[in-house]
Amino acid sequence: MIDYLVTVLTEGSIFAIMALGLNIVWGWSGDFDLAFYGYVALGAYMTLVLTVGPATNPTTYILGLTLPFPLAVALAVVSAMVLALIVGAIALRHLRGIYFSIVTLGAVYVLYVVTGQYVPLFNGYNGVSGLFDPMGDVLGLDYSSYSFFYLGLCIAVLIIVLLLTTRLNGSRFGLALRSLREDERAAAAFGRDIYVTKLKAYVLGAGLGGLGGALYAGYLTAFNPSAWSPVETIILYAAILVGGRGSTRGVVLGVAVMVMGLQEATRYLPEIANQPSFAPALRLIITGVVLVLFIRFRPQGILPERRFRDKDPAGKGDAAAVEAMVAGPKLDTGAA
Amino acid sequence: MHEALLTLGFGLVAAAILSLSALAFTLEYSVTNVANLSHGEILTVGAYCAYLVQQHGGGVILSGLAAAAGGGLLALAVHNGVVDRFVRRGIGGLPTFIATLGVSLVIQNVLVIIFGASNLGYAVPQGAPRTVGPFLWTDTEIQIMVSTVVITVLLYVIIVHTRFGKSLRAVSQNRSLARVSGINANRVAALTWLLAGLIGGYAGFILAESVGTFSPYSGFSFFLITLTAAVAGGLGRAVGTLAGGIIVGIALEFFGGYVSASYNLAFAFAILSLVILVRPRGLFVGGRRSVFE
Repeated sequence: MIDYLVTVLTEGSIFAIMALGLNIVWGWSGDFDLAFYGYVALGAYMTLVLTVGPATNPTTYILGLTLPFPLAVALAVVSAMVLALIVGAIALRHLRGIYFSIVTLGAVYVLYVVTGQYVPLFNGYNGVSGLFDPMGDVLGLDYSSYSFFYLGLCIAVLIIVLLLTTRLNGSRFGLALRSLREDERAAAAFGRDIYVTKLKAYVLGAGLGGLGGALYAGYLTAFNPSAWSPVETIILYAAILVGGRGSTRGVVLGVAVMVMGLQEATRYLPEIANQPSFAPALRLIITGVVLVLFIRFRPQGILPERRFRDKDPAGKGDAAAVEAMVAGPKLDTGAA
Repeated sequence: MHEALLTLGFGLVAAAILSLSALAFTLEYSVTNVANLSHGEILTVGAYCAYLVQQHGGGVILSGLAAAAGGGLLALAVHNGVVDRFVRRGIGGLPTFIATLGVSLVIQNVLVIIFGASNLGYAVPQGAPRTVGPFLWTDTEIQIMVSTVVITVLLYVIIVHTRFGKSLRAVSQNRSLARVSGINANRVAALTWLLAGLIGGYAGFILAESVGTFSPYSGFSFFLITLTAAVAGGLGRAVGTLAGGIIVGIALEFFGGYVSASYNLAFAFAILSLVILVRPRGLFVGGRRSVFE
């Protein structure tokens, strides 16, 4: 029972870290990024190839180093951010709305096809494996205490990410982002550099995605393309939407409901003959239905984002302009 | 040279399927301004309907009709059940786009539960390849191309020469203006989606015929290529979409034949991204507008 609880909580904290990253991109910056799970996957792959040592025949993958786990995680996060910088720099330049989503969907599919087909990169469809109990031997932990240690590690990282995002939420950068989401033109009129601000948010979000992916790799011990079909991004979106888009507490609640809750609620379904995929398929159906219903009836989620109230009765109405004013002078250097 | 012509021949078959799928997608887009991410599932459901009919001993014609009917009903259900409610409430393009992604997830997984996630074989007697001019086509491939041409011509006649087509064009250009002119815009949109679903379902059938297998996910993968064709042709423009489908279909076949078929999807998206970044309104924008818009 206790082992089971540890598993659920570990997975939950990892998904919460990813969802908090995606919340920066979609919740605050307002970009519906379908490439997000690609950064999670890259974080996971990079962690693996940086820690598991050289590839043995017939597997092939790049690097194959044996770096310490924390260093590998850091490098994995950096590589996810670099990829996001490239994709974001192209996609955010002119594109918004569905065109942005389509291009990011394209980017993640290219990544997906290439990792699957190009074997020398990450061993194709078989994926990379062999990361057992990272840091376990250094700390001298046995099998039973290791899962507690890893849970503690994930929760500690989640708490750091929570503190970071809460702080960011009230910062000038956070306010600037949300002013862009509400009205780009108004924000630009208040001196924001739209492109640079959005790109920063995109790269930061992807970094958290890569961090979640790195921890996920340590938890799963292996990663392959069947572990990350681009559909996974939708699950993260459903969690954010249900909890409350843009609200940090909401996102954590959403992950608890949509990832952990749904997983547990459907775990003990009777197995239907010849249907091993029944429970996962049912979960995705419920996810899809919840997504549609929430967009239609409660787009702000269960715990809505707190809005800044306009204290000056003369300027009533234009929340975006007020937010932009609250945010103060522009953050970014470069041409306006 | 001979090999290039053969590839072109296969490319024309691919282009036919792609054009029908892209035309259906663009019809959906034109009347509701919603990029329907569950469009691929119309094709998938069409393929499954054809498969069921074939399993019960139905012939090619009956299978094709069943595919069209299944696709049409699904499209109508998605429109009336989800999209129309969103459009009427004034919920914007992006949230509705996200909702159709949810719909796509639901349909895919309902199919997984009913039929299983693995590939199903769809075997039709292809007939011996015969030489038509410089090309080499089987009977099935000829059937695919001839039916595509017939459907496209029919669609053209409907859009340009019927009263319904006129309302369709009016709604697609300006929904509010069409309504104050006495057009029942919701009804026209629903009928357009039904029409798109009929075409999309049939496209799913010929896709299954041509590939030989399909799964609950094959429609979604093909939708990604469809999107390339539709965006290249200019979203919501029928003639452009047709041209986009032909160009992308042939380009993909050449890429698959001469570079690598495994990376087809990646290649399609490279085209798509390039088009969106360089000519976001499609390749054929500018100049005189066609009546078929």
